[in-house]
Amino acid sequence: MRQVVSPGSTTGPYFPREFSDGSEDLTRREAHTARGQHLLLTGRVLELGAKPTWNMVLEIWQPDANGIFRHPLDARATEADPGFWGWGRARTAQDGWYRFKTVLPGTYGGRSPHINCAVLGIGLTRRLLTTIFFSDAPDAARDPVLDCVSDPALRRRLFAQRDPSLDEAGLPAYRFDIILRGEGETPFFVD
Amino acid sequence: MELWQANAAGKYIHEMDDHVAPLDPNFTGQGRLVTDEDGRYQVFTIKPGAYPVLYSGWWWRPPHIHFSIVGSSWMNRFVTQIFFPGEPLNEKDLLLNAVPDKDVRERLIFEYTDTVMGDFSYIGYRRDFVLRGHRRTPEIA
Repeated sequence: MRQVVSPGSTTGPYFPREFSDGSEDLTRREAHTARGQHLLLTGRVLELGAKPTWNMVLEIWQPDANGIFRHPLDARATEADPGFWGWGRARTAQDGWYRFKTVLPGTYGGRSPHINCAVLGIGLTRRLLTTIFFSDAPDAARDPVLDCVSDPALRRRLFAQRDPSLDEAGLPAYRFDIILRGEGETPFFVD
Repeated sequence: MELWQANAAGKYIHEMDDHVAPLDPNFTGQGRLVTDEDGRYQVFTIKPGAYPVLYSGWWWRPPHIHFSIVGSSWMNRFVTQIFFPGEPLNEKDLLLNAVPDKDVRERLIFEYTDTVMGDFSYIGYRRDFVLRGHRRTPEIA
């Protein structure tokens, strides 16, 4: 029987905030604490004219500190860190800030350390996808996804910046602003 | 699968909802589930109320339930909203009617089904979802 694709739509404004409760912290799973370097990933989601967005939903997923995904397609999934779930969700506050507690992702298969990020919310008819890279030397980083972006200025926008002014309780902060449109626009995947 | 909806009075538990209708202390309006090995899902809920949208002009949203579906990886995210059959407000809804093709709109409306779920106090509605495939190697703009 021929199956026809269901039409999609935006999340609208009323995506339950409870769906995000507790999921901003990826460093704990069941009774275990994640291995590796814990960090704060934070920043603002801005729309055209650098206006902060309120109520945008961010979802991230990443491998653990050893570069292993808790997913059946990862050949090393059985060795995944018992303290790390690998997925999180946060929402932007009225001033546009979001905040995740996670670990510095490990590397695997020729990839540079990175966190995958999806943005959903009112006004976004398609979920937006980008990749957040971590490196002390962004211009020297080599990664097949990063290499799809040839302009060095655009590439640098895909790196989280170490920002000690945002450190909290011994956690080093990395800042990654997501600019949906306009000057400094974040490079997104084409769906 | 995650779903969320207004209560019977057309009110969501959400700080952005400024509709004057009351909250229902016995209804959260949200749920999560995992489909079984045949891809089936089943939810017990109440029919949501209509509510007014007070910006972009104004109109009444017909009763609808929001669905967010995630496949075997978080890449397969699908979001939509499903409406109820025979609702007069369906004809006027800007979101439902943003889908220009009537046959396609039909796929956003539940079908009545006389399959009995639980006991006879629940009306049965059915909606199958067909998820889009996606290219394995996305491009970056």
